[in-house]
Formats: sequence, structure tokens, C-alpha cells
Amino acid sequence: MTAALKLTDMETALIDQLPQDAPLRALLSEQGLPHRRVEDWKWTDLRTVVGKLPAEPGVLTFTISREPDAWAEQDEEPGLLMPRLASALGEDIQVYTLEDGERLELGVEATKGFAHQQVLILVPEGVKAELIENYAVEADGFANLTLVIVVMPGAELDRVIEQHASPDAALVVTSLIDLAPKARLNQTTLGFGAKLARLETHVSHAGEGAELQLDGAYVLDEGLHLDQTSLVRHEGPNGVTKELFKGAAIKGAKGVFQGKIHVEQAAQKTDAQMQHRGLLLDDKAEIDAKPELEIYADDVVCAHGNAFGALDEDALFYMRQRGLPETKARALLTQSFLAEPIERIRDDDDRERLMARLMATLEAL
Amino acid sequence: MLVIENLQARVDAEDGDGREILKGVSLEVPAGEVHAIMGPNGCGKSTLSYVLSGREGYEITGGSMRFAGEDLAEMEPEERAAAGVFLSFQYPVEIPGVPTLTFIKEALNAQKRLRGEEEVPAPAFMKLAREAAAQLGISNDMLKRPVNVGFSGGEKKRMEIFQALMLQPKFLILDETDSGLDIDALKVVADGVNALRNEERGMLVITHYQRLLDYLKPDVVHVMAAGRIQETGGPELAHKLEKEGYDKYAGEAA
Repeated sequence: MTAALKLTDMETALIDQLPQDAPLRALLSEQGLPHRRVEDWKWTDLRTVVGKLPAEPGVLTFTISREPDAWAEQDEEPGLLMPRLASALGEDIQVYTLEDGERLELGVEATKGFAHQQVLILVPEGVKAELIENYAVEADGFANLTLVIVVMPGAELDRVIEQHASPDAALVVTSLIDLAPKARLNQTTLGFGAKLARLETHVSHAGEGAELQLDGAYVLDEGLHLDQTSLVRHEGPNGVTKELFKGAAIKGAKGVFQGKIHVEQAAQKTDAQMQHRGLLLDDKAEIDAKPELEIYADDVVCAHGNAFGALDEDALFYMRQRGLPETKARALLTQSFLAEPIERIRDDDDRERLMARLMATLEAL
Repeated sequence: MLVIENLQARVDAEDGDGREILKGVSLEVPAGEVHAIMGPNGCGKSTLSYVLSGREGYEITGGSMRFAGEDLAEMEPEERAAAGVFLSFQYPVEIPGVPTLTFIKEALNAQKRLRGEEEVPAPAFMKLAREAAAQLGISNDMLKRPVNVGFSGGEKKRMEIFQALMLQPKFLILDETDSGLDIDALKVVADGVNALRNEERGMLVITHYQRLLDYLKPDVVHVMAAGRIQETGGPELAHKLEKEGYDKYAGEAA
């Protein structure tokens, strides 16, 4: 027996938009939006934060390098709540089928109010392509997006995501990714947080020579929250996953890293590595991390690591003694700490663009 | 140029009960002169270098330190650097991820900006770097590596002098620059320091032993013990100390 949930205005407004007979309607009425007593959301209380945002429809503006190839109707499949909401409450699903050598740029800006959308990206067999995403939400906005990405056999996708600081807004981006045999995905996120931001990535990893590189860097200024959650499920043998997340937070900021690698019994010879490193730039900064390996195969190489540190005071003094102002010295040291995931971006221009953005943000901290 | 009068300083302690390290240091280094400070371990030599350069963790409890007429105590470490104070560290710090030349260029231009001067153009900077590196036997590879990362003790000390040659400070404080150097490396480093000697530049050479001073030939030697300058003399004082040790000053400890 659970006590009836007192819905927030936001939840009521969302429910009102759903069809009367939608199973999602009952689900949302019963459970509400994800909150801190839901294990997977324990450090990211979406319900409370968006409950205080204006419960009115907002507008999503897509800045896209080209038109979608098709529009698909919303599906009503069971699964995670946020993708279901994105699908049910959004416009028709935008479908992009990438061509070999294509670079698809997808910019998303959200205004005040709530907005939902699902996008489907198909990378056909043998195709090599890039997907460049930018997310920004204006004050009082709540954007919930889902990207379903299918990387077919032998295809390669380089995905670079920039999440711009949105201090008075909430953003949830869920990526549901299918990685086929011999396919490759290199994903790098540079995130600056929001009042609440959650970038959640799920990968069904077929193995059979498929390779996943899942990287992220984050810098969080005062009052900003960024949650990077991932679940990689190795389903077939001989798959590779390399995961590297590095982030820095100052006082009043909150970083969350939840990473899980699940290796099924069929996924023998899996090689999976996951690392998270957090830099606390202040005594009052907070970074929560939960790296997990769940392994059911007996012949695998899997490892994970997680560590926290602070800036090296000796190095700071050394740099200042040579004439660098304290802010510059701190920025350089922090950049050198955070650089590795960005340096793994394969495209020179993207790598330099993100590195410059990182440094500019650090110098303004 | 550097005027220290009755300088007293204590090290901050976790329990708030700091220990007094400098108990009234007075000395003056005019432009163009090289002064040595010799003394036993724990006499306050390194503390003096940190207090002069503005490291956190020390509290000045009395006296004064002025450089070119300016009160150093009122200046941030980077302002002291821009004013021309360079500390060659006893233990140079490793900075992973920051290439050596990038670091020095950033530092040089930051100093120039603080002084209101034009930044140095990249080609001129590279030319200067090549010349200084050749003089100190520093390879191109070392310059590309992150600051001091993976360098031997001797390489780190050479890199300190390399930085001094690049930054052209008005005043050098050499803190135990001879420690960790074999005799060949010592000569290379001493030659680098001697190349920096001129009429306008002052130096304070902090050392435990006299062997570096054989190469640097200081104008004045100060003996420091128990947080004070106990004796001041010419170069012959260093030799006397080498023979007699610091025992006679031990009694001066408070």
C-alpha cells in the first residue's frame, strides 16, 4: 500500500496532455516524475525541481543542418518513463538516416515551459557519420528529449554533445542506442549543467567486434547540477567498451556519475573499462559517483575506477610564482585534469572547439 | 634593490598555534650583487624564500621586505613575479598536462600584461627558447613535455634556470639549486646563472654547501641560524663555514 501521491502542477499539466486511455497516464499519476526515492534518480530529484517550474507548454526550436528524412508516429512501448513521455508528448518522431561521410548537426533550444521530443537516428550498414548535438534551455524551461540511435553492422558514429549551462532550467536527454556487431560508437559529452540536467545513455552492445567509447567531461559552476548516467549492456561476445568521465565542481554545484556495465553470460571475451575522476574545486563542492560492473560471463576483462581529488596547491603556487594570475593557474590545472576525454575526440575541429569552450568556461569560473 | 628589515614570520599550523621561523632577518641586496645565505637545515632559509615570493601558509608578524621600493607583503605572488622576483624552487613542481613551452609563454605574457608591456611575438619567443635551451643542454623533447613531468632532479634544476633565462627577472632567489646535482650538472646550472648576472640584476643564493658558490662567486655571504642572520662577510666566510661547520652558531638558537 502506498499513499496516494500528491501531484505537482507540472505532473498534472503533463497528465492532462496525455490521451485518456494511455497507460502512461495511470503510471505518471501513480508514480509521478522520477525523484530521489527512486534508486536510479537518488541524486537527481527531477520531480522536485521541475515541480517548481511553470506548468505550461513551451517551445522546442531545432536548428538542424538538414530536414528529417521522415516523420514517424509516436510509439507506446513500455520502457523508461522519460523516453515514454518524450514520445507520447512530443511531435511526430523525426527520423534521420545518415549517409556515408555525413555530419548531422542537431541544435536544440527550449523556451520557458515544458517540451518533449523524440528523434530517431539510423546509421546504415557500413556508413561512417558524425552527429553533433547542442542543448540549451532558457530560464524556467523543462526539456525532455529522447534520441534513439541505431548503429547497424559495421557502421561508425562519432557523436559529440555539448550541453550549455542553463542555470534556471531542467533538461533530460535520454539516448537509447543499439550497437550492432562490428559497429563503432565514439560518444563524447561536454556538459556544464543546469538547475537540473540529466544526460542518460543506454547502449545495447552486440559485441562481435563492436566497440564503444563513451566519454564525458563536465564543469559545474555554483548552483548547477549535471547527472551523467549510463548503462551499457554487453549482449554478445568480443565486445569492447572504454568509458572515461572526468569532471570538476565548485561550491554549490553537484555532479553525478552513475555508470553501469552489465555483461551477460553470452558476452564472453568482453573487454570493458570504466573510469570516473572528480575534481572538487571547493570544500563545499559535491560529486556523487556510483560505478558498477555486473558480470555474468566468466571469461572477460573488466575494470572500473573512481577517484576524487583537489587542485594541487604546490602547483598553483609554482604557476603564480612564474607570473600566472590565480584564476589562469587554476583554469590551466583544471583543464589539464579534464582534457583527456576531450582529447579522445577524433575530429580535429570538434576537439579544438570543445577544448576552447572548456577553457573559456574555466577562466570565467 | 631588495631590502629586508627585521623580518619576522611564522608558519601557520593546523591547530592555529604557529611556530615562529624568521625571528628578525635583516639584509640588503643592491642591484648587481650576488648574496649567499648559508645555514644549517631548519634555520629558516627556505622559509625566507617562500615568504619573499608570497607562498600561502606563512604569517608575517613583524618587520618589512621591500623590493625596488615596493612592499612585497602587499603583493600577490604573481604581482611579485611581474615586478621581477623569480624563485628557483628547491623542489620544482610537476604540472601534468601543461607543456613546458606553453607554460613559460603564458607566464611571460601574463607578466608583460601586468607590467603593461606588449606580449612577445611567437617567433621571437621561439628564438629565445632555442638559444636558452642550447645553453643549458635542454632538448626539444624536454620543452614539449609537461612541466617537470618525468624529469630527473638535475633536469628540473636546469629547467628552473631555463625559465629564468626566458623570463629575465630582475631578481633571482635560488633555493638550494645545487641540491640533487652532480658536478657536471652543477657546472651547467652555475654557467646559466652566471649568464644572468649583470649590473641591474640582484641574486640571493640559498645553499647549505659552499660548492655552488665556488662557481657563482658571491659578493656577500650571510650566515643564517635560528631564524636570524648571524654573521655577514665576504666569500671567505663560505670557506670558513665549510671547514668549521655551523656548530658555533648553534648556541645562538633561542
